[in-house]
Parts: sequence; structure tokens; C-alpha cells
Amino acid sequence: MRMTRSHVTAGLTVAICAAFFSASAQADRAPLDWLNSMNAAMRSTNYEGTVIRMQDGNAEALKVARSVKDGVILERVVAQEGNGLEIIRIGNEVHCIMPDRKSVLVEEWDEQSALFSKLPSSEMRIGNEYDVAIVRKERVAGREAILLAIRPHDEYRYGHRIWLDTETSFPLQTQLLSDGTAIEQVKFADISINQEIHASALEPSYSTEQFTWLRQSSGHQGTRIETPWRNDQLPAGFRAVGAHEETLAGSDEPVTHILYSDGLASVSVFIANNSGDLVAGPAYVGGSNSFSVERGDYEITAIGEVPAMTVEQIATSMQQP
Amino acid sequence: MNDGIREQLSAFVDGELPENEAELLLRRLSQDAGLRRDAAEYLAIGRMIRSEPGLAGADRLHEQIAAEIGNRPVDAAEHGATAKTSRAIRPLAGAAVAAAVALVAIFALQQTPGIDKPSADIPVPVANAGVPNIDVQQERQRQYFRRHAEASSQLGANGMISRVVTLRFVEDVGEDPRLDEADEAGDSEAAETATQL
Repeated sequence: MRMTRSHVTAGLTVAICAAFFSASAQADRAPLDWLNSMNAAMRSTNYEGTVIRMQDGNAEALKVARSVKDGVILERVVAQEGNGLEIIRIGNEVHCIMPDRKSVLVEEWDEQSALFSKLPSSEMRIGNEYDVAIVRKERVAGREAILLAIRPHDEYRYGHRIWLDTETSFPLQTQLLSDGTAIEQVKFADISINQEIHASALEPSYSTEQFTWLRQSSGHQGTRIETPWRNDQLPAGFRAVGAHEETLAGSDEPVTHILYSDGLASVSVFIANNSGDLVAGPAYVGGSNSFSVERGDYEITAIGEVPAMTVEQIATSMQQP
Repeated sequence: MNDGIREQLSAFVDGELPENEAELLLRRLSQDAGLRRDAAEYLAIGRMIRSEPGLAGADRLHEQIAAEIGNRPVDAAEHGATAKTSRAIRPLAGAAVAAAVALVAIFALQQTPGIDKPSADIPVPVANAGVPNIDVQQERQRQYFRRHAEASSQLGANGMISRVVTLRFVEDVGEDPRLDEADEAGDSEAAETATQL
């Protein structure tokens, strides 16, 4: 069909209008829309790149790749430092390859699993415990990104900053914030999005035939229980989302494990018989804090990716049956 | 504690102290409980000024002092000073954990300022009358941390990067029960002791 001048003009007009409305729509998108599209993008985006994880003044690089082929998620993460740890995902089966141990841990993950885990979901109670706002546009890994800030209403939880690729809504950088300071940060140093990924980028680097393959034993999560332990002084928004009786490795004594969540942050409380060995008080691992306290015949430890004051309040306000 | 020691401590934490001087410093610290306390205070204040949650160099210092102390008896006065300090949950490997009481004192190096403020109406964390078993406690803390990571991931999706972090933990201390079983039994017997594919 021969193109007339009017056809060209109409086409150009449509293209210009589409570009204008696309840019306008992007600027007008509400923060929650960005979060929703981010969650969709994390499941659907194919990518390959290098991620830098920073915590406690240390940085480590991870090579990452993800692709969906014939409806099956293929994913690989390779630590560039240390002992060459690799995680290979094929569908919902995940192989954690530990070359120094000549072992492969095999785990079943759900379909929602993705590169990042501590990102807000649509279930987060925005407006109650957190506010979310669009801050500005910046460039991350050479791409245009929009910066979202998730700000807690009180000091009992950490804030988050997320840089989303404006084109795909895929998260390019995340920060966990305590008093405005990043205590944990993950960012792409380089990334290619929705490009063809070579099969070798998704395969293990090691021949694991001679490795010991170990599957996650069933029943590891313990037995769900109705616990008599309660807490009437939880920080606002936290509620119990599960209670289990569990037996930890190397011990025959059951431990009560109660999990509290505010929809984004979570805190575990472990209640065990008083061993007499408890070193009470605070401890930390990276952005996770814990606080242990004796209460009569029991010792209580609260642990979570929350400020130290939060685990202290939760641990010390647990009430005996 | 004189300025010379302070400078040596700072250089050690920054990894800039010559090896021979580092050996002398560690020997002095291992033999002098008072100096250890002063050093702990000095490093804690420095960290507070810099708003740093922890120092990699300080971790190395703790471990080397612990190794230097070995099984040497430690002044009993050191026990109580650290009842409410913040402890980094570190791998046991490399630390001379036989001197459990000494380690309690060394944990003072990782004090978190502003945390030890027990309220009047809440149960107060107290030091145990006996010698706490640091090995057991650290192991339990690590297991709690791991279980929390697993449980919280069930609230949402697992994260590949988070799993790298928890596996690093396993790499350091070998505390994943499946790996322990494999190690104890040897590769050939692991098939019987663990659920093998």
C-alpha cells in the first residue's frame, strides 16, 4: 500500500502523542503503582549483570542472570569473592552449590521468589506504619531510574529506598536505612535488561557430579502451635503471623518460635528453657539485631531486621503463660 | 593508656601496624586486663564518633587477642563488665573460644553505645553467676538468625541475594545441619544420614 502524506502526518502525530502521554503517565504514576509494577517486573524481567552488595563497610560483587524459557524460570547468582558460592534456580528448584564443601543444597522455592527479598509488597500497610514517596529521577547502572522512599512513621523499623528502572520498573538499587544512613545496600553496577541471555550464563560453573547433594529435609519448620505466650506492648503495626515449636540442630529441646511482622519488617521471638548459659543483652549480624533476656524458667531472644530498640522492646515485653 | 598505645590500636584496626609491632601489642593486650578495658573503651568511643556499627579490623583484633590469651586464666573482675554489651555473632573458627570468660571481656570491644538502658518495669538482662558458655550461646544465636531468615522469607518471596548471605553464614561456621551431617558421615555415608538425591 502506498503511503500518502496524510498517512505519514497521522502516524507522526500518533507517535508524538504516544510518547507525550507515556512520559506524562510515567510522571503521574502514584508511588503504589510503581511498587505494584515493580513486583510484576521482578517476576517477568530477564536480566544479566553485576550486583554489588554493601554492608558493614564491606562490599562484595555477585554475577547474576535470569531468563524465562518455555515458562520455566532459570536463574543464577555467582559470588565473586570467597569460596565461589553459586545459586542455580531451575523453576522452583534451587541448587546452592558450595564448592569448598563439595556440597549442593537443594531447596524448593515458590514462584514469587526473585533476586531481592526485602522489598515491599502490595500487602504492606502503606499509610499506617510507612509512607511511600517518589523522590526524584537518577541514573543507576547507566539507566534512568526513579527513586522511591519508604519512610517509617516511627523509630521501630528501618526505612527503604528503591531505585526503579523507569522503562521496566525493575529495581536497580535498594538501600536499608537507619536514621537516614544506609546500613545495607544492593545495586547493579551493570545490567542488560530483556536481552537474549546465553545459556552458559545460567549454568553452574562447577561439575557437581562428585558433590554430595542434600535436599532440605521435610518438617524442618516445626509444628504449628497455639502458644500461650503473648505480647501486649508490640511496636505499632506488628502482629503475630505464626507460632511454631521447633527443634534446632544439635539440641533435643524444643523452642517456641513466634514470628511477628508489620507487613515489611519481621521479628522472630525464640523462647527456650533457661539454660543458665544465656548472655543477655543485644547482639547483631549486619542489619539484623537481636536481644536476649531471662524470664524465670525461660530465656527469650528476639531477632530481626529492625533497630536494636525494637528487638529489645519485643523481647523484654513477652509475657509468660 | 598512653598515646603510643592509642596510635598502635588505630593502626592495627586500619591494618597498618607492622607485623612485629602488632605482635607486641597483642602480647601486651593479652597480658593486661586493664589495658584491654581501656582499649575497648577507646575503640568504642572512636566508633561512636564515626557512627560506625562495627569495625572489621576490630573483629580481627578480638580474634587475635583471643588466640593470644588461649587457655590462660583471666582476672575474674573481667566477667561482669560486659553483661549488657552488643555482641557481633561471628564465626567460631579462628577464635580461641576455649577461653570463654576471656571472650566475654573481649566482647566489650563491640559495645553498642546507648543500648544498655534497662527500664524499671521490664525484666532486666543480668549476667549469669556462673561462667556463660559462649560457644553454646553463639551457636544458638546463629541458629536463631538462620531460622529467622528462613521464616521471614516465607512471609514473602525468597531472595537470591538474601540466600547468598545466609549461605555465607553456613560457609563460615558449617552450621547447616545438612552439611554437618555430611561432614560427620563423610561423603560416602552422607547418602544414609541425609536425604540425598
